[in-house]
Amino acid sequence: MGFSILPKVLSQMFKKPWTNKFPAKYQPSNTTKYLKAVGTGKVKINPPIPTPPGFRGKIIYDKEKCIGCKLCIKVCPCEAIEYKEKDKKIKIYIGRCCFCSQCNDVCPTNCLSMGDEFLLADSDPYAKGLIVE
Amino acid sequence: MSSKTTTKTTYHIPVGPIHPALKEPVFFEFEIDGERIVDVDVKLGHVHRGIEWASRKRNPIQILYLAERVCGICSYCHPAAFTLGIEDAANIEVPERAEYLRVIQGELERITSHMLWAGVAAHEIGFDTVLFLTWEMREKIMDLTEFLCGNRVTKGIMTIGGIRRDITKDMIPQITKSLDYLKDNFEKIRHIFLDDKTVKLRSQGVGILTKDEALKLCAVGPTTRASAIKKDVRVDTSYFAYGDLDIDYITPDVLTGEVNGDVYDRIIQRLLEIKQSIELIEQCLDIMPNGDIISEPKIPKLLNQLKKVEGEGVGRHEAPRGEVIHYVKLTGEDAPYTWKVRAPTYNNILPWIPMLKGEQIADIPIVAASTDPCMSCTNRVGIIKDGNKYELKKEEIHRLSVEKTRRLMS
Amino acid sequence: MSENKTLEELTKYFKDEFKTKIKSIDIKKRATGSKKKETSTIWMKIDKGVFKDAIKHLVDYQYPHLAVVSGNDLGENIELIYHFTVNYGERLREINLHISVELPKSKPEIESICDLIPGALITEREKQEFLGVKIKGIPDNRKLFLPDDWPDEVYPWRRDETGPEKYYKNLHEVNK
Repeated sequence: MGFSILPKVLSQMFKKPWTNKFPAKYQPSNTTKYLKAVGTGKVKINPPIPTPPGFRGKIIYDKEKCIGCKLCIKVCPCEAIEYKEKDKKIKIYIGRCCFCSQCNDVCPTNCLSMGDEFLLADSDPYAKGLIVE
Repeated sequence: MSSKTTTKTTYHIPVGPIHPALKEPVFFEFEIDGERIVDVDVKLGHVHRGIEWASRKRNPIQILYLAERVCGICSYCHPAAFTLGIEDAANIEVPERAEYLRVIQGELERITSHMLWAGVAAHEIGFDTVLFLTWEMREKIMDLTEFLCGNRVTKGIMTIGGIRRDITKDMIPQITKSLDYLKDNFEKIRHIFLDDKTVKLRSQGVGILTKDEALKLCAVGPTTRASAIKKDVRVDTSYFAYGDLDIDYITPDVLTGEVNGDVYDRIIQRLLEIKQSIELIEQCLDIMPNGDIISEPKIPKLLNQLKKVEGEGVGRHEAPRGEVIHYVKLTGEDAPYTWKVRAPTYNNILPWIPMLKGEQIADIPIVAASTDPCMSCTNRVGIIKDGNKYELKKEEIHRLSVEKTRRLMS
Repeated sequence: MSENKTLEELTKYFKDEFKTKIKSIDIKKRATGSKKKETSTIWMKIDKGVFKDAIKHLVDYQYPHLAVVSGNDLGENIELIYHFTVNYGERLREINLHISVELPKSKPEIESICDLIPGALITEREKQEFLGVKIKGIPDNRKLFLPDDWPDEVYPWRRDETGPEKYYKNLHEVNK
């Protein structure tokens, strides 16, 4: 009949599935209860695949090295960096960051680097975990 | 008995903007006589975001990232064309190694885009198994992109005067491993798509775009090459390192010997282009020279240099969907005076009208998807009040398409 | 249709026909890659009166590829630039041709080229709604990208009082 896909489909029944089961194999019936159980340690979630080196995740800011030159503010496309006049340091809003890492390239003292944290979802864009200063 | 004064009128069906066949909004209005389409009208503007307006208060480095977010799947070609425009206006010389690296990244994007399209086209026919199979193979290339650029989709690797990340010697084994995986499985994909009886029944003779119409309507990309018109920016002009490489136009008669301009020809066209991209990447890795990867590494110096330039420039690049053209005018201020973006789907909208006339309703998804439209690229949105129109829902159209396949098979 | 003309022959072809109506012609060449292969570009400014004849002259030579029409607001005039390419189909022979026309803001009208090049419809509709240029003889007069209830006299690309400044909202500054 010309079903060229048939041998591939049948052989798939004996192979391991290709997807990584992150965070759980099947969707839980009640997501909030499931997340609470994970928080107390009763349920384990499968970890995601480790990120490669050079991955652009959440920004890491080394406050000591910063000299307050404001070059990162000039190149940020999203206006995610604010300058604090009194301390001469910066404040980064991760909620507006687009992870382009242009601020890393421009910084003359190399005080900014990209970490590998990417699970940053939150319901409040100005939450504590989403402001780096 | 009264004389026959009633005439048969056509039935008017609106389809969209929550589009049944694609993942992006477009508004079609069909005049239907029975099951055949008599006339079609296309309306756009649902994803218009005002990107060109947002560029009026940003300097060129910031516009690179704005350009990247015009579209998700074409996220490399818009910064590439913008950079070509700025380098044309400011006469910036780019080092040779950077040109070869740019070619490699562009061809990788072409492979991912065509494999995504192959899965979507199979889904429109109702062939979901092939959707999952091609997207599984595509994951290997996405992992390679994440390894080379830092992110799967928004690559952020293009910059004015060069490229941001180098490919060092220890990265090359990973690249060759992924390309070998793809080469070994290419024959499998080709066999599934081109030799399968279902696919042939649904796509041969459907959605024909003749050579004359493709020329007159200025169609671009694989849509026009599948109608035997030889237009390809990589072969026609010399930009990046394409002038040094061994490359030729690809039309469907390379494989089958004749060109019909239907959906089947477009499938052949895109599969052959995947093969061509793999060969181009291998050529580049062989002959890439050593050297710098950027002409001006200090960004504040580059911005000051661009602030003194007065001139206009045009950058053209061959994206997976066709020709992208950007026009930039610099007048000695921080932000460019004018920035015009034209995505390839823009020119491929008018060919929808001759392609859809005379087809059946159940063929709408596959014909519309065969030109590989990317509506985000085209509109840079609006909120359209629909009025009280009866709309065909997405599930209805998909169900009709799957039913037609079943009918043809029994 | 004649053989593919070279760069010099093409400039001569236009100069001979239109003589003084062409305000300027600039030729630019750019070389890329290790072997330094070149691509040439012609930037031409012509008078509004002979615009349609110039396009017909180009179509007589070879059916061009119209990429897009871009526009500039220059204060008192509106400049429209038509981006064409000719000599496609052969390796490394293509020539870019950019023809620009200036229209006064008091009377921004120009003829449509849809009868010669049907593919120009979408880009001409875009210029009508974004810059306020009136294109005579266009087959389809509706708005393209802007919503149907957008006010009539507001043109998003202009930099004068008809620009869209009043519709612009900087949402993130409101919330911070």
